[in-house]
Amino acid sequence: MSLWEYVQDRWSLLSFQSYQHLSLVVQSLLIATVVALALACLAYRSQRVSELALSVSSVGLTLPSFALFGILIAFIPNGIVISVAALAFYGTLPILRNAVVGLSRVDPGLVESARGMGMSRTATLVRLEIPLAWPVIVTGVRISAQMLMGIAAIAAYASGPGLGSFIFSGLSRIGGANATNSAWAGTLAIVVLAIGLDLVLNLLGRLTTSRGIRV
Amino acid sequence: MSDTRPTTSDVTAAPDAHEVRGQRIVLEGVTKRYPGQETPAVDDVSLEIPAGEIVMFVGPSGCGKTTMLKMINRLIEPTSGRILIGDDEVTHRDPDELRRHVGYVIQGAGLFPHLTVAKNIALVPGLLGWDKERTAERVREMLDIVNLDPDEYADRYPRELSGGQQQRVGVARALAADPPVLLMDEPFGAVDPLTRQRLQDELLRLQEELRKTIVFVTHDFDEAVKLGDRIAILEVGSRVAQYDTPEAILAEPANDFVAGFIGHGAALKQLTLTRVRDVDLHEAAVAHVGDDPATAIAAAEALGREHVIVLDRADRPLRWLSLRELNRPGALSTVSRDDDLEAVTLGSTLNDALDSMLTSSHGVVVVTGRRGRYEGVVRIETVMGAMQALHTGAHASGRAVR
Amino acid sequence: MSASTAATPTVREGLEEVAEERALLDADDQRGRARLITQFAACLGAFLVLIVYILVADLTSVESRLLSVETLLRLSWEHLLLSVAAAVVVVLVAVPLGVLLTRGPLRRFATPIIAVAGFGQAAPAIGLIVLAALYLGTGKGPFLLALAIYGILPVLANVVTGIHGVDPKVVEAARGMGMSAFGTLVRVEMPLATPVIMTGVRTALVLMTGTAALGGFVDAGGLGPLINTGIKLGLDSVLVVGAVAIAALALFIDGGARLIERAATPKGL
Repeated sequence: MSLWEYVQDRWSLLSFQSYQHLSLVVQSLLIATVVALALACLAYRSQRVSELALSVSSVGLTLPSFALFGILIAFIPNGIVISVAALAFYGTLPILRNAVVGLSRVDPGLVESARGMGMSRTATLVRLEIPLAWPVIVTGVRISAQMLMGIAAIAAYASGPGLGSFIFSGLSRIGGANATNSAWAGTLAIVVLAIGLDLVLNLLGRLTTSRGIRV
Repeated sequence: MSDTRPTTSDVTAAPDAHEVRGQRIVLEGVTKRYPGQETPAVDDVSLEIPAGEIVMFVGPSGCGKTTMLKMINRLIEPTSGRILIGDDEVTHRDPDELRRHVGYVIQGAGLFPHLTVAKNIALVPGLLGWDKERTAERVREMLDIVNLDPDEYADRYPRELSGGQQQRVGVARALAADPPVLLMDEPFGAVDPLTRQRLQDELLRLQEELRKTIVFVTHDFDEAVKLGDRIAILEVGSRVAQYDTPEAILAEPANDFVAGFIGHGAALKQLTLTRVRDVDLHEAAVAHVGDDPATAIAAAEALGREHVIVLDRADRPLRWLSLRELNRPGALSTVSRDDDLEAVTLGSTLNDALDSMLTSSHGVVVVTGRRGRYEGVVRIETVMGAMQALHTGAHASGRAVR
Repeated sequence: MSASTAATPTVREGLEEVAEERALLDADDQRGRARLITQFAACLGAFLVLIVYILVADLTSVESRLLSVETLLRLSWEHLLLSVAAAVVVVLVAVPLGVLLTRGPLRRFATPIIAVAGFGQAAPAIGLIVLAALYLGTGKGPFLLALAIYGILPVLANVVTGIHGVDPKVVEAARGMGMSAFGTLVRVEMPLATPVIMTGVRTALVLMTGTAALGGFVDAGGLGPLINTGIKLGLDSVLVVGAVAIAALALFIDGGARLIERAATPKGL
């Protein structure tokens, strides 16, 4: 059976698992974005706290995802909760890093200008600093999304949902019929989803970025 | 409250009645001491800035002049002393509320790059809760006041403007809510000399209409002489070395520090004290867009001129055209604006006029008045005459009292 | 909008952010050093805790067959070797290839290849590893190959961006002084691009350490099998020891790579 025939044969399962995979990634990404933005807004005004946030982000990204899955499996019984928790954790890190860098890069002259016009701290953050840091933050979200697509594949091993099950079922049937087809289908579907999600995020980013600062 | 004051259009309706609309600013024993620093950045300064005047803070870098300025709108909190705007002590007001009623312009304009020109100008009216219609009307009016065509510029983004245009929008934004006081922190420091001169002229022209109280920080003494009704020369710690009119400071420096600051060529600097409006203007051959070129040529020949200055329908100069250029068919049906056209205003100094003449090829420079309207031309002979008069000491009274 | 234009910026901008983050983090050299020391201390501490746990905990016979101090150290060493081997392959391929892509006739391939690298990063590591095992069999060889393929693209992108990032005026000045193209590359461009390339090397090392944790799926050894076995048999002690050891090892390798990075970066940058 060729890969194409295999895909046609398993289309309903493949599309269902793709949906599950995407849904897992997007939901985790939403949580991650909210958490990361909140943390960045708390951190960016202090040089020390910013450095701490960046260190946490870089150390966190060093931790292998499979190790984190292992630790979570030992303590949390529910596979879905494990998957969302791990993905939200990893997703937060690049967004936090980019948000802190983006916010700290806003020209202090502009911030002073805003304060000099009588804009409050919050108004300055919401109307000046976040819009200016927005392209950098969106880049962080896109990096997160790509990374989560791959990590979500491993989540299937921790009895989470998603396209990883195709890869693992290929592995478990080594030498058997359709083993390679199954692994290819899972891998390629993830690549396609990742590219599609990146396109959508890129478009959303452009639509939400002011024409005045678009590259 | 400032936003209930008459709008500028009311004033332009009666151009001669320029009432003072600024408020005085009083500094009493103001000190700023940063933790961990031996000497205070600003040391016990007392100063009164009269309503409706431009006062220049000038001094070497690090003398605390910017700190003084920022204490007026409380971007920096004074350690001790009182600052009054009108009769209100600034420290008794909510800082954000205070700043919405104090215009603030910084170097490079500080425009928000993600907002259009119109939205930048609408920021403070928005913070003050003006309704949309009033804000939109005000935005157009402000663009008009700073000589930017609202239809062309309102929807542009800052990066689509030149440095000088950005700075004008910065001034428009600071004045949008009609604050009685305007603070300017080296606003023209980042633009090229020619643009700087034009911006200075425009500020003087604006001030004639608006009569705000303006505090202007600069390190350029020539700029201080040109713009200031009064100059405060500051030493380290913002100690006031001399606080007086430019004429008095040039004539009698209070001490060696001031004399050193003025530098050499004080006599030539007095050319800076003579304004274009103080000398007699000449008439150039004038034509309007849409006029018959033949009539324009005839008029020019009658005056013995080889060039004609073409004005738009609002009497603003567009460009010089030679008689040969006028001979082309339809020469006056559409005339584009010459962006490099050398022009000075009635408030420009003779020094500026001389600079412009030397860069233009006409030996004369166009003079514009209110709203960029054509007023006449200055010739090089006029400037030479004024210079001679200065050297022979005939220049006794300096410029006309404003 | 084509897909390639969408995927490319992610890599490039991501790298720019990394460079900025470095600038922010290394603003204070002292603090950077303090952080490194903390990092190494944490790794050693974690390993000590694991060893003490294995020695004193009341393990079942199955558990103690899988877990001993000797096993832990042997598997860690194996994991380290796997990761370093994969990283060496990655660097040996990616750095010369990256240099070639920024010179002469190959230059025009740089952009499309970086674009493909954008897609490549979306490929799940586990997919590549399983595919390698399916085609070439299980064990260390195919596993290493999969790791290397997975790591080459991001490092390649890093190198190309790094060399492109060298100020063209500096290059022009060098050529203007009469330096040959090769001399300019070796004496000007490479030293100036070193920080970015070294970040790429570190990224490769850390990436390989983390990905090598997946070795348990294809009998490739390392610490990964502890997690797989732990999950399969429901032995939380084995699972957690494996996971913590991998995390500590990753931090250790990251710290080591940062040390090399510091040493290799020319003074004045």
